[in-house]
Amino acid sequence: MPLLRTERLTKAFGALTAVNAVTLEVRAGSLHSVIGPNGAGKTTFFNLLTGQLAPTAGRIVFDGHDIAGAPPHEVAHLGIARSFQRTSIFPALSIFDNVWLAAFARQPSWRGLAWRRADRYPELSDKAVAALRDVGLDAKAGRPAREISHGEQRQLELAIALAATPRLLLLDEPAAGLSPDETQRMVALVRQLKGRYTIVLIEHKIDVVMTISDRISVMHFGSVIAEGTPAEIQRNADVRRAYLGGVVSA
Amino acid sequence: MSRAWLAILAAVVLLPVFVRHAIATEIWIFAIFGLGLNLLMGYTGLLSFGQATFFGSAAYVAGYLLKYAGLGVIPALVIGVIVGAASAAAVGYLCVQRSGLYFIMLTFALNQMFYFTAYQWTTVTGGEDGMPGVPRPAILGVDIHGPLAYYVAVAALFLLSLAVMKRIVESPLGKILQAVRDNEPRAEALGYDVRRMKLLAFVVAGAFSGLAGVLYAMLFGIVPLEAIGFVFSGNVVFATLIGGSGSLYGPVIGSFVFIWLSESVSTVWQRWPLLLGVAFVVVVLFFRGGVVEAWARLWTWRGAARAPATARPDAAP
Repeated sequence: MPLLRTERLTKAFGALTAVNAVTLEVRAGSLHSVIGPNGAGKTTFFNLLTGQLAPTAGRIVFDGHDIAGAPPHEVAHLGIARSFQRTSIFPALSIFDNVWLAAFARQPSWRGLAWRRADRYPELSDKAVAALRDVGLDAKAGRPAREISHGEQRQLELAIALAATPRLLLLDEPAAGLSPDETQRMVALVRQLKGRYTIVLIEHKIDVVMTISDRISVMHFGSVIAEGTPAEIQRNADVRRAYLGGVVSA
Repeated sequence: MSRAWLAILAAVVLLPVFVRHAIATEIWIFAIFGLGLNLLMGYTGLLSFGQATFFGSAAYVAGYLLKYAGLGVIPALVIGVIVGAASAAAVGYLCVQRSGLYFIMLTFALNQMFYFTAYQWTTVTGGEDGMPGVPRPAILGVDIHGPLAYYVAVAALFLLSLAVMKRIVESPLGKILQAVRDNEPRAEALGYDVRRMKLLAFVVAGAFSGLAGVLYAMLFGIVPLEAIGFVFSGNVVFATLIGGSGSLYGPVIGSFVFIWLSESVSTVWQRWPLLLGVAFVVVVLFFRGGVVEAWARLWTWRGAARAPATARPDAAP
């Protein structure tokens, strides 16, 4: 049984159908990539999954629950965590607090919410440090998030998602805006996470996706035009025409 | 941390020596009021122009019960806190449905509604004349009628309020509210119900406002109509900004500056609000973190000036 299934998921903004009847299954433990040219509707698709947008039609079934239209904070409590394409962190807070807040949110009970001192949750501190260690930011835990480099903020973005101990991890172009070197490191990082988490990855850089994905869905003008293993996608004529073009034949 | 507490303790002890007792008492009452607002403004990023709603409501209800029902001081304070929190829950529930400018206008508009209710309901509130004759009964058998005795009681409650607020801002809630201020969509995506968190901040701020309101009524023996007016709401925003809205102690310093200026300088110079205006402009233009930031900058500047020139050649004037 898939961990996540969407059934004819659709989002229309007036006359524009950004996501058009997308049916997709993500198996537990797999890394499923969603690729497609700019404006294909990939990020809108994520926003539907996490409740930032309510779908116009269709269903989203996560672990047996229909979560279509649920607000983001409820979706988060079910164990869906995401990273954002455009870095979305808490700039005035320390790097540690950024990830700590993600860990606290997933506590089954919020005991001591307004009274217990935040540093008296040893298990959360451990979780936060572990998430920072995963992305290699543990040495800078005390620094305000606004002071670190763009590349490091991208790593923090990922650490925030990891600290929530997600059952489903949605990564929206984790390598967006990174230099080639930094991209290499980010890809290595995502590769490490593969197998430990169920991951849906949106990515623009096709070579990255081909090497690390279990399955790939290709979106074009809001619809999924192909789905399969990396090898199948590489052979697919529609995909070549719509998206890959010369990149693959070269 | 303990340095700040020592400074505040010293101020509590020394203030009545230098300043008239009533003014000294008012400073700490206003500081309690400011602590509440600062949780909204400084920590959650919600600019409320309606804090007098809760301050005034608590003052009227507790003042009425003190006057006509012979209520004791402690029940009056408890009722004040409850009225403050409950009115803030009702007003806050409406306000957090909107954000930004609309949020601010809602806090203001609802404040005006409460104000005109108090203005019209003369049989209870005394309307424009206020509600005079609020007594100040003994507290656990201790007479607090004298200005100094009342000062001690208020100062003790202020220290308690400060300790409670410190606990709150150091709790998970304190961090969550700052996260809401910094990046609302991200806080929501992490699993925080942002509206509910804002409402919680509102209720806590309302409770502090309510406590301050009752103490204010007992200080002057009257609930003036202004206690629920928008000028009062503006004053506490003003005082908190001048002190420094980013820090726990900002509103305390702001209250001192504001009340001291308004009560002391006003007797000498009628156009004293001009000074406040200038202070406000200076803060907004140069010290967004208020007196607290100015102080911190002075210290780093002095430290840099003292250090040998070779160590920090770029720090030379």
